[in-house]
Amino acid sequence: MLRSLVRPSAVAAAVPRAAWTATQTSSFSTSHAALAKPDNSKQGRKVVSQNQGRGGGAAPKKPAAGERKALRKRIQLSNSNALPVPGLEDARKNDLAKPENIGLVLSIPGQVQDQLRAVEAFKATQFWHLFRNASTLVRAETVDMVQRMEAAAANKQTLRLVYDGPRISGKSLMLLQSMTHGFLNDWIVINVPEAQELTTAVTEYAPIPGTSPTQYMQNNYCLKLIKAIRASNEKLLARLTTAHSHPELPQNIPINSTLLQLTNAAKEPEGAWLVFNALWKELMQPKGQVRPPVLFCLDGLAQVMRVSDYRSAAFELIHAHDLALVRLFVDALSGASAFPGGGVVLAATSRNNSPAAPSMDLALNQRLAQIAGAAEVPQRDPFFRGYDERVLAALPTVHVRRLGGMTKAETRSLLWYYEQSGLLRQKLDEATVAEKWTLGGHGIIGEMEKASLLTMRL
Amino acid sequence: MPPRLNIWSACRTLSVRATPLAQWPQQPCVAAAQARRPFSDNLQNTTPSDPDQSVSHPALARFRQTEAMELSENEKALEKLRQASYGLNPYDPVVEGHKYGMPEITAHMNHKDRYGPVVLQVTKLLMRHGKLAKAQRDMAVILNHLRSSPPPKIKALRPLLPGSPPPEQLPLDPAAYLTVAIDSVAPLIRIRGFKGMAGGGRSLEVPVPIPVRKRRRTAFGWILDAVNKKPSKGSGRDMFPLRVAEEIIAVVEGRSGVWEKRQQLHKLATATRANLNNAKLRNFTIL
Repeated sequence: MLRSLVRPSAVAAAVPRAAWTATQTSSFSTSHAALAKPDNSKQGRKVVSQNQGRGGGAAPKKPAAGERKALRKRIQLSNSNALPVPGLEDARKNDLAKPENIGLVLSIPGQVQDQLRAVEAFKATQFWHLFRNASTLVRAETVDMVQRMEAAAANKQTLRLVYDGPRISGKSLMLLQSMTHGFLNDWIVINVPEAQELTTAVTEYAPIPGTSPTQYMQNNYCLKLIKAIRASNEKLLARLTTAHSHPELPQNIPINSTLLQLTNAAKEPEGAWLVFNALWKELMQPKGQVRPPVLFCLDGLAQVMRVSDYRSAAFELIHAHDLALVRLFVDALSGASAFPGGGVVLAATSRNNSPAAPSMDLALNQRLAQIAGAAEVPQRDPFFRGYDERVLAALPTVHVRRLGGMTKAETRSLLWYYEQSGLLRQKLDEATVAEKWTLGGHGIIGEMEKASLLTMRL
Repeated sequence: MPPRLNIWSACRTLSVRATPLAQWPQQPCVAAAQARRPFSDNLQNTTPSDPDQSVSHPALARFRQTEAMELSENEKALEKLRQASYGLNPYDPVVEGHKYGMPEITAHMNHKDRYGPVVLQVTKLLMRHGKLAKAQRDMAVILNHLRSSPPPKIKALRPLLPGSPPPEQLPLDPAAYLTVAIDSVAPLIRIRGFKGMAGGGRSLEVPVPIPVRKRRRTAFGWILDAVNKKPSKGSGRDMFPLRVAEEIIAVVEGRSGVWEKRQQLHKLATATRANLNNAKLRNFTIL
């Protein structure tokens, strides 16, 4: 009873001061526990995870970094099970330009296959792995494109061409065929297989000193590109010689050394952009040694016709045209720069994995209407603010072609090739051709491949 | 009241035609039309490419003759009405003509018979969460993988089903490849337990033969079990079907653990065969 009359302050004084402060701080801070020595008494214990308990054995080895993606992106260009197609010939120098070859399936020569593989012209989603040898169908559009290419090369002009069309209508295949023609005819071929690798912030970038407005270089990608150019155009580059000394390069490249030596200067990402820029200058130089025609391809145009995912030092988004490599392509496509030895700048849109690009769509539609001589050219939507002036300025003089379905004659030829390869186990008559043509969205080549090759009905 | 016999009533059935009546049935002409009809997207050239040959065909000659009459729209409509009055179907597809003819009526016209029985059953077994289209695509990838991988090397200890095609012929017939793989490891029996009949509350186990669909389902269930235990080597949507295809190749080559399962089950069946003589089973239908 008396104890209840004791003052609270007296109780506080009875508790040792150190213990008091300890109890006060412990509830607010975890640093004591974190700094404390590890409890050795618990070290012998094993933590049993769920996975270990199940099979009893050790967990399966995990694949190494990049292995899974490599398997996904693997390109197989031949299948020894498929039957050899009688009468199938290799494409020769001018075969893709001859109108009499329309509707013919031609094989890609082995040498060119290696070159195309080096520039990543084949895609993993195409059906190369089913056939005995990589072959392509010559379409009317192919001959049209190749004839334009030849005309440009003959007149030492630069053809600027964009392919548009519904998904899997063969736009990337047109790029592949143009590259095939380029390699067969000793063109210098530069290919950007996926434009999204340049603008989706997956490769390193750095500002180029002394540029205003600031331009950005992508050294890792440049190195990859130079390696591809070197692997695919080696013989040609060994024949061509430099016209300038390039003092900016870390390595001394004297005048009249070969372009192959110049590309060999890029051994590591650092300085790769400088080497690529030097190579570009050499290809663009108008005097001296005559340069061969150049083919510059890019797949997925919408990716470079937008604001990229990169950020500047001020944390503002960088426009794709401020990336120096993209800038080179866009200048060539818009006609601001031209190849002195003639050449082609070729781009294909992608309708599978591409960002919305209203400015590009508008510009392409306008060009299509102008080329067709239509009375009404599509105009800007007055209620839409998102148009990109830089994109609209890049495309007003470019030539645009829209790819559609194949004709039935081409379809018949393609199905004949499938049948002869032993992959289409059906009686091939007009009814089958019409069936596949219809199932393939009126001759859309990718849909037809799906209808006849990726099916359970074999 | 009997009808009046009058000459005029007989005359009433006569009709005067401006054009001769079309010949029915007109099947040969339709066949000829199919032969000379160009592709639908060919808008320029609608005449036969080889006129001499087409004229030499009598049916086609007649067809061209009738075509040359060039009936007006109104006359065509009247023609249809006339056909209806004769009890014919004016829009009979056989008469009208099909672009590629009528499809042949065969025993397997039902859409459910579109794919082979094994492919169909296995596709349904591949399906998860009711996504049939995904399963169908997976099956297509499996078949494509089978036909693009090298011919299997058969192990003498694990022979395939007798009568199966030689291994070098399998890749180009992937449906047969799949069938051979599944049928070769499919068990012949299942073990059926009769509760409490073995005494002491134990069940009496006896082997029971099973029908072919169930044999296949069991075998593919084992294959899927093996697939689900395998780690995926790659990434992307095609990795599951690729693992299934690899397991099927492993089965045909005798490398798969599925063979062990089949062997164990058959051993158990041999051991429990003696239970079939148990007197308590007399009152049961075992199958």
